[in-house]
Amino acid sequence: MSENPYVSHEARILEVKDLTPREKLFTLRFVDPEVGENFNFKPGQFVIVDVRGFGEFPISLCSSPTRKGYIQLCIRKAGRMTKFVHKMREGEIVGIRGPYGNDFPMEEMEDSNLVLVAGGLGMAPLRSVLWYAIDSGRYEQIWLFYGTKAYEDLLFRDEVVHLLKHGDAVNCKVKLAYEVESPSCVYLEKGFSDRVCRGVVTDLFRGEEFDVENTYALICGPPIMYKFVVRELLNRKLSPGRIYMTLERRMRCGIGKCGHCVVGTSTSLKYVCKDGPVFTYWDALSTRGLI
Amino acid sequence: MRYIKLPSENFETFFNSLREWGKIYGPVKKGEVYSFQEVQGAGDMALDYNRTMLPPKKFFVRPRDQILHLKNGRWENGVDDERFVLFGLHSCDIHGLKILDKVYLGEPADPYYKARRKNALIIGISCMPDEYCFCKSLGTDFAMDGFDLFLHELPDGWLVRVGSVRGHEIAWENEELFDEVTEEDIQHFKEFEERRASSFQRKLSKEGLADMLDLAYNSPVWKKYADICLACGNCNMVCPTCRCYEVCDKWINAYEAVRERRYDSCFMESHGLVAGGHNFRPTRLDRFRHRYYCKSYFDPSAGFNCVGCGRCDEFCPAGIEHVKVLDEVRGSLQ
Ligand SMILES: Cc1cc2nc3c(=O)[nH]c(=O)nc-3n(C[C@H](O)[C@H](O)[C@H](O)COP(=O)(O)OP(=O)(O)OC[C@H]3O[C@@H](n4cnc5c(N)ncnc54)[C@H](O)[C@@H]3O)c2cc1C
Ligand code: SF4
Ligand code: SF4
Ligand code: FES
Repeated sequence: MSENPYVSHEARILEVKDLTPREKLFTLRFVDPEVGENFNFKPGQFVIVDVRGFGEFPISLCSSPTRKGYIQLCIRKAGRMTKFVHKMREGEIVGIRGPYGNDFPMEEMEDSNLVLVAGGLGMAPLRSVLWYAIDSGRYEQIWLFYGTKAYEDLLFRDEVVHLLKHGDAVNCKVKLAYEVESPSCVYLEKGFSDRVCRGVVTDLFRGEEFDVENTYALICGPPIMYKFVVRELLNRKLSPGRIYMTLERRMRCGIGKCGHCVVGTSTSLKYVCKDGPVFTYWDALSTRGLI
Repeated sequence: MRYIKLPSENFETFFNSLREWGKIYGPVKKGEVYSFQEVQGAGDMALDYNRTMLPPKKFFVRPRDQILHLKNGRWENGVDDERFVLFGLHSCDIHGLKILDKVYLGEPADPYYKARRKNALIIGISCMPDEYCFCKSLGTDFAMDGFDLFLHELPDGWLVRVGSVRGHEIAWENEELFDEVTEEDIQHFKEFEERRASSFQRKLSKEGLADMLDLAYNSPVWKKYADICLACGNCNMVCPTCRCYEVCDKWINAYEAVRERRYDSCFMESHGLVAGGHNFRPTRLDRFRHRYYCKSYFDPSAGFNCVGCGRCDEFCPAGIEHVKVLDEVRGSLQ
């Protein structure tokens, strides 16, 4: 029999890092080096994490394939299984199957500008794109618009703040929006008044112009965010085919069998796990219920 | 296609010869409903049945299915390898399996489904429509493939269409039971099919259906029916093309666990629920409409996701009729 697609591969937890009180970053390496060798993924793809005897759940790959030898997952404590994983320590084993889903068209976007728009946990999959773009050096200007509730919710805080300060050297302009004030925000805002503001992620578009012929937007955030961000982009005349977004749905199998992630109507029915999770805004216009 | 004739007097011997392939499951009557059950003799079957409650999908995508077994910290597969015969499938159910094939055999193939499909000998049987059937509208009233042998009723036996090499081999091994097809048999076959074609009472207007339904997203008809729907999910369970499943791990003792799949229904509130409590189909209206969209999705390469078997109508406790809902939704466009 060919390999069973439902059987996960063992991966060892190399490091667990607290990102926020709710999110942890897990660095993993496959126990079998051959599996690790064959695990080729692209920014935008996800894996299914298998906690043997407890269940499985989908998580985006938040590291970049440009950095080999390990994978990273940023996991929010959201329920039963993620809570269990949050208790796990370095050296312990989880199951991983994947990579699944489609990806952001990194090659097609080469030599273009990228506008990454992240809301909250949406930073996780976009971090893969961000690293990939910076590491490969094949992109023009990169914008990262990142909105969170508070400074304490900023994921990958060190990296993001570092890029806020020094990103220009790698053509990356970071802008942050927060909703709840704190001393750290005020301090950042003082230093970078044109890049840090109190408000929502769409406020970060103010004063920015994009060369619409040569720009792609990549969005990930809570369901409510898409409509507003897309509106900003359309106002700037970006084509629906250049607006990419990655979506979340309830997923069980990850490979188009269990039916949970199906969206759309009689003219267009899509599996988010297989046809997505990355879709263009054109897909959303032609498939009802996508956003 | 290859055609042979099975005379009535050889039917039972032929049936018994199938035992060599494996256990035989056929339509059995229990009270008022039919179901596919293991049968010992040809006489156990009710071959003139209209439809079983659960379609033959239950043999391939089981209502409960232990797919993995955790032992010593490792998963073990439970892919079963037992051959079996499904005797007396109607054309619509064969089409239903073909739709499941597209999903479960599509890359990466589901190994459990694949093995069971390979191990199943499929024997079709002709039928007469009742008041619920509308397979003719969907082109699923006749199967051209997807079976090993297909038996068409004749006054004195069966006209058998041989649909696969395996079917051919089975017939070959029992060569002495079969005759050549005569002119008279062909005449009877033709008459039967004509009579059958003119007996359908229900018709689904397919013309532009997918677009009409999409355009009627806000039609009040969805709400009218969603209000009387009990959200019991019966229609999902009995549908030969519904296949959503939920997965859950269960410990059987301190050292061993199993991962089990179970039928799920898009009528359940949890179907579209994600972390944080966000639900992508929060209301019953959303879920009711979703099922109709899923069933009426038109795949350019495989057609509709409904084969017109009429099960969802017969087994809906609220008396909701599939074709009627679709017609009314379409009608509400004017
Ligand atoms: C493609 C994709 C990528 C993702 N990437 C990430 C990522 O990078 N990081 C991350 O943290 N998360 C990510 N997620 C979300 C993550 O999969 C969920 O947070 C996770 O599955 C929650 O699992 P859990 O067992 O902890 O929660 P569960 O115990 O399943 O519950 C989570 C929540 O779901 C609801 N729920 C679930 N099942 C039921 C039920 N049967 N009845 C009632 N309510 C229910 C409840 O509201 C509950 O609070 C991603 C999801 C997808 C689809
Ligand atoms: S069987 Fe009828 S009542 Fe039950 S969920 Fe389906 S449509 Fe609703
Ligand atoms: S939707 Fe109803 S009629 Fe169509 S295949 Fe399913 S159960 Fe049969
Ligand atoms: S997650 Fe199972 S079909 Fe998409």
